[in-house]
Amino acid sequence: MASNRKNAKFDIFTKIALIFVIAIIILLVLLPLANIFKFAMDPGGRVIFTDLPKSLVDQEIVKNTLKLGLTVGTLGTLLGFFLAYTQTRIEFKGKRILHVINLIPIISPPFALATAVIVLFGRSGLITRDLLGLRPTLYGYPGLVIVLTLSFFPVAYMNLLGMMKSLDPALDEAGSILGANRWKIFKSITVPLLIPGIAGSFLLLFIESIADLANPLIIGGGYTVLASRAYISINGDYNIPGAAGYSLLLLIPALLVFLIQRFWSQRNSVISVTGKPTGRINPIKSGPIKYLLLTITWFVSILIAVVYLTVIMGSFASIIGVNNALTLEHFRYVLSGFGGDSVKTTVILALIATPIAGMVGMLIAWLVIRRVKQGSQILDFLGMLGIAVPGTVIGIGYAITYNDAVRIAGYTIIPQLSGGGAILGGAIVIVMVYVIRSSPAGQRSGIASLQQIDPSIDEASASLGASGFRTFRLVTLPLIRGAFLTGLMYAFAHAMTTLSPIIFLVTADTPIMTQKILAEADQGRYGNSFAFCVILIVIVLTVMGLINLAVRGRKTTSYKPLAMVQ
Amino acid sequence: MKAKTGRLKLTNLTKEFGNGSDRVIAVNNLNLTIEPGEFVTLLGPSGCGKTTALRMVAGFENPTKGSVQLDGVDLGSLSPDKRPMGMVFQSYALFPHMSVYENISYGLKVQKMSKTKIREAVGELLDSMSLEHLANRAPNQISGGQQQRVALARAMVVRPKVLLFDEPLSNLDAKLRAQMRIEIRSIQRKMGITSIFVTHDQDEAMSLSDRIVVMRNAVVEQVGTPDEIYRKPNSVFVADFIGRSNFIKVESVKAGKVGTAKIVVVGKELEVAAHEKAIASSEPVLLLRPESVQVYAAKKASSTGVGQGKVKNVIFYGPHVEYTLTTNQGEITAVVSDPTFEEIVHIGEMAEFTFSPERAWLLPSDAEHNQEIH
Ligand SMILES: Nc1ncnc2c1ncn2[C@@H]1O[C@H](COP(=O)(O)OP(=O)(O)OP(=O)(O)O)[C@@H](O)[C@H]1O
Ligand SMILES: [Mg+2]
Repeated sequence: MASNRKNAKFDIFTKIALIFVIAIIILLVLLPLANIFKFAMDPGGRVIFTDLPKSLVDQEIVKNTLKLGLTVGTLGTLLGFFLAYTQTRIEFKGKRILHVINLIPIISPPFALATAVIVLFGRSGLITRDLLGLRPTLYGYPGLVIVLTLSFFPVAYMNLLGMMKSLDPALDEAGSILGANRWKIFKSITVPLLIPGIAGSFLLLFIESIADLANPLIIGGGYTVLASRAYISINGDYNIPGAAGYSLLLLIPALLVFLIQRFWSQRNSVISVTGKPTGRINPIKSGPIKYLLLTITWFVSILIAVVYLTVIMGSFASIIGVNNALTLEHFRYVLSGFGGDSVKTTVILALIATPIAGMVGMLIAWLVIRRVKQGSQILDFLGMLGIAVPGTVIGIGYAITYNDAVRIAGYTIIPQLSGGGAILGGAIVIVMVYVIRSSPAGQRSGIASLQQIDPSIDEASASLGASGFRTFRLVTLPLIRGAFLTGLMYAFAHAMTTLSPIIFLVTADTPIMTQKILAEADQGRYGNSFAFCVILIVIVLTVMGLINLAVRGRKTTSYKPLAMVQ
Repeated sequence: MKAKTGRLKLTNLTKEFGNGSDRVIAVNNLNLTIEPGEFVTLLGPSGCGKTTALRMVAGFENPTKGSVQLDGVDLGSLSPDKRPMGMVFQSYALFPHMSVYENISYGLKVQKMSKTKIREAVGELLDSMSLEHLANRAPNQISGGQQQRVALARAMVVRPKVLLFDEPLSNLDAKLRAQMRIEIRSIQRKMGITSIFVTHDQDEAMSLSDRIVVMRNAVVEQVGTPDEIYRKPNSVFVADFIGRSNFIKVESVKAGKVGTAKIVVVGKELEVAAHEKAIASSEPVLLLRPESVQVYAAKKASSTGVGQGKVKNVIFYGPHVEYTLTTNQGEITAVVSDPTFEEIVHIGEMAEFTFSPERAWLLPSDAEHNQEIH
């Protein structure tokens, strides 16, 4: 038998797939990152690092970024934990609806939340000023914390919900029959078993919140973070090496935390269930804990519901809170002219990118789990870079790399892809961003579902004489179809709502919705920006619904005896 | 020595799930008294309510009706952590984030026992179950059989008054299963803990139990010692579920001496042991275990057997031979021990079969038996 540490000889399909995937990773992540690095080493970039010990301003920015990451990571994880715990351990009416409400932030553009929160809770907020007579200052740290926590906690929620559901209820029962009460079980069994999920969620939220650009631009006020500083370097100072320097400064903690997160989740995947899980969860039936949890859950869900209702109402009101007269003016504006173009372009580009992202993700997953033995960890890591690297950094990297033709030894390898005069008006580079930002979701769900499938199924196919490609197409892909389609849904939602890399790459020929929403909000035309958000959410929901139908529509082909076919 | 504790009394224990059209009666009026130190198995086909009954005793399910008493005290709706019981789960439910030692000491820690005492108690148990070399391993670093033993140790270290087992051996291979049976039984005997063991494996039930409770469709069919259940089953169902059976139609029945009946089978008159309801039954059947049937070649002119049949199949196992005969009474299976080479009858040949009346058992037909229960 061949040692399973060494890579067996690859068949031709595996080789092609491997080369294809590596080429994608090089072009879509590594090359832009290399250029960031190159520019950051220019004098204009280097100065940011050399001056950091002296520059109080830059120190403040770094501190702001880390503080924001830590706060949002902590609060978002706590919130996700409480809501997931409530979902799994308490029986109450409206459970399903609250679950769905908790997921809305995942499929909506991030600043929908920010803008609506300003309208509701800002200095002239509908709730703060008109209802409570308060005039708080939201801009800055407090506003960012609220908005980012609400935007990102669903990631922690989903993560922990999945883990809580997969815990064998018999573990609780074993604790219980050994004399432990509910609190003791919670402390000594539930929480320790969820530590990997808790830590993983915290680190993910940390990365997401330090990488976010849209919210600091809308609600950050004077609270500058690395992402917004890099943006200002490009759009205000026109200092590319400076932007590259700040990007690198942001990239370091992001990648570091990403590596820690991977290390954690691998070391702690101890939740192995032997035998069939038995027993069932004993719900919390009474007591202050139940009411405390229910209060938190309802409060958060109502808050989210109010925020998104504001988005919807704001899109139909003349100026929400000032003149609430119903109007379709915002939709007219948004759907005609430039606005309408941006809707069309965004949807087309996202639809092109989605299947590519799904395929790339699945291919990497398959290679990592089934084909590549040596270095599979590295391949997995490289595949995840698209999401580990902050969007701002990706965007700046692309702008630097593809604003000009890529040449090797004087020969043009790739023509100019981004900026004015690029081929296809810069559309290619946007599809590339969508693909690399979305494929990691497919990769993760692909890996998760391939790990569930017995490798001997692949081997059976090979032993019956199927080539690598046929095995992948006829056996592997159908088996992970569910994961593939889920991956597609996330890929599409992700593409439609992404902003930070796009903002550096849009041209007059390829207007993109998220960038338009930001521009409208920036001008204070919230009605237009809300209308955009509503349209975007409707599109995302429609496409997700269609994909869902496709999942349910096609089951395994059923065998019919000949007699029945006639 | 103090008086033995751990008498468990289940009275009219009933559990219904759901309501309206999806109402399921999982356990129906279970009455059972288990003596201190007794080992009782609940045996029955899948879905008959064994697990539900066990979970009501543990306190994981609240009975719809009826009560669980321990040493004369009604446990009422006492939660599981307040009941002096231990349980071994089918999935073992070992805490994956704790070492073997931590798993076993968990119950004592919950009782706030001092560290040194815990070390002593756990150490002793680890030693007696030969687990000490695994103390610092994680549950996923030990084998299935070892996990099973750790689960048993964890349940036992708190000295429960009652031990509950829900198919704890079903994840082990046959050899280990047999070995664990012996181990469980010997430890349980030594400690004298009242035990309820759920299984649908009859060998397990026969080899482990002081008494067996056979369940079917939420109802108890029979309670008895393994030999009673095997030799004197209450019903065709029990006879069929436990061991292998031949059922032979009876042509006529008359009362005989106490506990027996005079019957006619295959035109021959015999006096056999009989169930008390068999004589009044309209269609009693005769139970013959395969090992009670003798088979030999039908060569002699004068027949000495009970009946004749054609050999449909013969399987030679070494110590015994198994025959399937086609007879006027239907197919009859016989297991004949230690036959000589010459004695073996071959496929297609005619054979005679016979049995000694004291090894047969007359049963009432099942339909009547069930009517009385409902
Ligand atoms: N929580 C529940 N809700 C509804 N019905 C249930 C529930 N638990 C058990 N039942 C039903 O009660 C009946 C008895 O189930 P139980 O689990 O006690 O059977 P069992 O004898 O342990 O079977 P097995 O040998 O398969 O474990 C079954 O019909 C089952 O479907
Ligand atoms: Mg069961």
